[in-house]
Amino acid sequence: MRRPRGTSLKDVQDAEALIALRDLVGSPPPLIVPACLPFGLPEIDARLPHGGLALGSLHEVAPDSDADAAAALGFTLALVARHLAQAEGEAVLVMGRGHPTPYGHGLVDLGLDPGRLLLFEVETDTEVYQAVEESLHAQGLRAVAGLVDAALPLKQSRRLHLAAGGTGLLLLILRPAQAVEANVAATRWRIAGAAASRDRFGCILKPRWRVHLDRCRNGRTGHWLLEWNHAAHRFGLAGTLADHAPEASQGRCALG
Amino acid sequence: MVAALGPGGLRLTALDANARAMGLQPGEPLARARARIGTGIVVHPADRPADAAALERLCLWAMRYTPVVVPFRESEGGDGFFLDVSGSSHLFGGEEALVSDLAGRLSANAIPARIALADTPGAAFALARHSGPGSPRIVAPGAGAAALRGLPVIALRIDPAIAESLRKLGLRRIGALADAPRAPLARRFGEALLLRLDQALGHRPEPFVSLSEAPAFSASRGFLDPIGHQNIIVATVRHLMEELAHKLAAAGLGARCLRLILHRVDGHSSSLDLGLSEPTRCESTVARLLDLRLDRLGPALDAGFGFETLRLDVTAIGLLAPGQAALAIVPALGASGLGPLADALRQRIGRRAIRLEPRASHIPERAAAQTPWRVDAVTLHWPGGGAYAKPRRPLVLLRRGEAAEEVIALAPDGPPQRFRWRRRLHRITHAEGPERIAGEWWHETAPTRDYYLVEDESGCRLWLYREGNYSAPPVGWFVQGLFA
Repeated sequence: MRRPRGTSLKDVQDAEALIALRDLVGSPPPLIVPACLPFGLPEIDARLPHGGLALGSLHEVAPDSDADAAAALGFTLALVARHLAQAEGEAVLVMGRGHPTPYGHGLVDLGLDPGRLLLFEVETDTEVYQAVEESLHAQGLRAVAGLVDAALPLKQSRRLHLAAGGTGLLLLILRPAQAVEANVAATRWRIAGAAASRDRFGCILKPRWRVHLDRCRNGRTGHWLLEWNHAAHRFGLAGTLADHAPEASQGRCALG
Repeated sequence: MVAALGPGGLRLTALDANARAMGLQPGEPLARARARIGTGIVVHPADRPADAAALERLCLWAMRYTPVVVPFRESEGGDGFFLDVSGSSHLFGGEEALVSDLAGRLSANAIPARIALADTPGAAFALARHSGPGSPRIVAPGAGAAALRGLPVIALRIDPAIAESLRKLGLRRIGALADAPRAPLARRFGEALLLRLDQALGHRPEPFVSLSEAPAFSASRGFLDPIGHQNIIVATVRHLMEELAHKLAAAGLGARCLRLILHRVDGHSSSLDLGLSEPTRCESTVARLLDLRLDRLGPALDAGFGFETLRLDVTAIGLLAPGQAALAIVPALGASGLGPLADALRQRIGRRAIRLEPRASHIPERAAAQTPWRVDAVTLHWPGGGAYAKPRRPLVLLRRGEAAEEVIALAPDGPPQRFRWRRRLHRITHAEGPERIAGEWWHETAPTRDYYLVEDESGCRLWLYREGNYSAPPVGWFVQGLFA
């Protein structure tokens, strides 16, 4: 689907005609680079259009299967926590009927201060979208996340995308697994659980998720094994350390 | 006439004038009435909830006379109400004028009523219910005891069985009862009889629980022409809030909860509650929230032929220091941007806006609470992040543990190897624990729980606990949380 700039004119053989046409059109308007939330990992940020998760546009997150719902919620809240850690401001979490309320102490363990989070419990998806839209117009917010019970429809996604434009907010919609519908979300993430990283005593240290970027407008897709450091609010790529033993041993040799 | 199921079958509960003329009495068995009169009588089944609702509507209407209105309890018949008019009768030109006004309005609405006014609620009840038609309805102050002497003892709101026993003893009238020695009466019939007697005579107080408390801050406005338009309601509330804002500012307070009461022309009244996440005196905030609420309600708020009176009460207050008035009109931002948003969401969508708060408990489900969102100066301190290693807590905590089935554990008191939960088989690859959490002995005798953090093959991390001990079965395994 990707079509780099100018490819559609590849049939035009005459380069001079092309130059003449360019002159006719005039210089393109300067591109406005929107603010974004970088993952801090070059492998991922390079694939996203502006070097990170664009703020002020809609992003869709979904679990890989029903059993991964907690992992998807964890990934969503980790993104919110990362965004909140960078500046003052609060976040709103609008929860549909099928989603359990997060546990305060668990949020602390994920690096998200529950005091900066407003939870709004609603009954239907329509109310979720209403509340998310209302939150987008509020002041002093940094992130809005909506947890819905069905697919994100085209019409609602367009509405939210337009409402989010220019607000500079991180807007995430978490939908259930296998509820795919065509919409205008800038990125679509699919999250599955993975074995957590261990410390040297073999205890669980950081949560890990198998993250698939299934759709990325103006970017490239990919999949990674991500881990989340709640204290530093930083993502890490798990594969480079744990699964690639030779690299690790090289490092150790260099140290020794 | 109306009948309901009473002791020993269907009994009459209410009668119309024709039935009374035939000599029927409330409380009579329906079968006997049929046998006496024949089948020409029309009987309706009693609808007690509808009766109670109608009485409450009437009580709300009667608040035009005084804020203290108390409906009769079930034991008092449940078919009337008390008005405490002390201090408000002069507004209507004296007690006689008030009573005649009340009687006139009730009869205009075709509500038959018997009204009495006395020093005590007990005396007023007895006079209204049990005096003859010709006796005076208004008893002068201090004359209540004399007026009561000739009435039957059942007028004291006592158990009919006690009244029957008193009748057998020859104590038919309240006067005779008041003259009788008290000690044998108390020994035989208990304290309740003497309490009712003393309350009727004014020797002991009878506290009232009013239908609604009289608010300290209240403003109301009546209209010559009834209103029904949303814009006018909102504009009126803005004016009412301006009136209240001066009083609140003088007291250094702000409104935290507001109640708008709309009185319809036909006597029906409806109320809207507005909750605010921080105390406010700002009339435009209140007007905006009310606008959102009315938008949401739409036709659900039935204006009928229009509202004739709007009243705005402050039902909860909070401290609010006097602020400096801004010269420029800028959107005021509170300490947190979330306060106005939470209010707007609550009014527009009408669902719960909640905040998570830590609680001092080591039982996981009691260690955090969900409270309605409000803006507080105090920042909540969540444990964790300190120097000591805090045990890990799940991202989602189930309200109560869900039983894990087919549990297989390698050692009797070790973590499980596999179990089935929510119809899925979990094969455990890694387990940490146990973290032992004992029940709070000062609350109840809950068994000790041993918590394990387990991870299965697919990377799903769960928090489950074993309740009970293998040395003392039964033992149960329960899943209580999900980790990210």
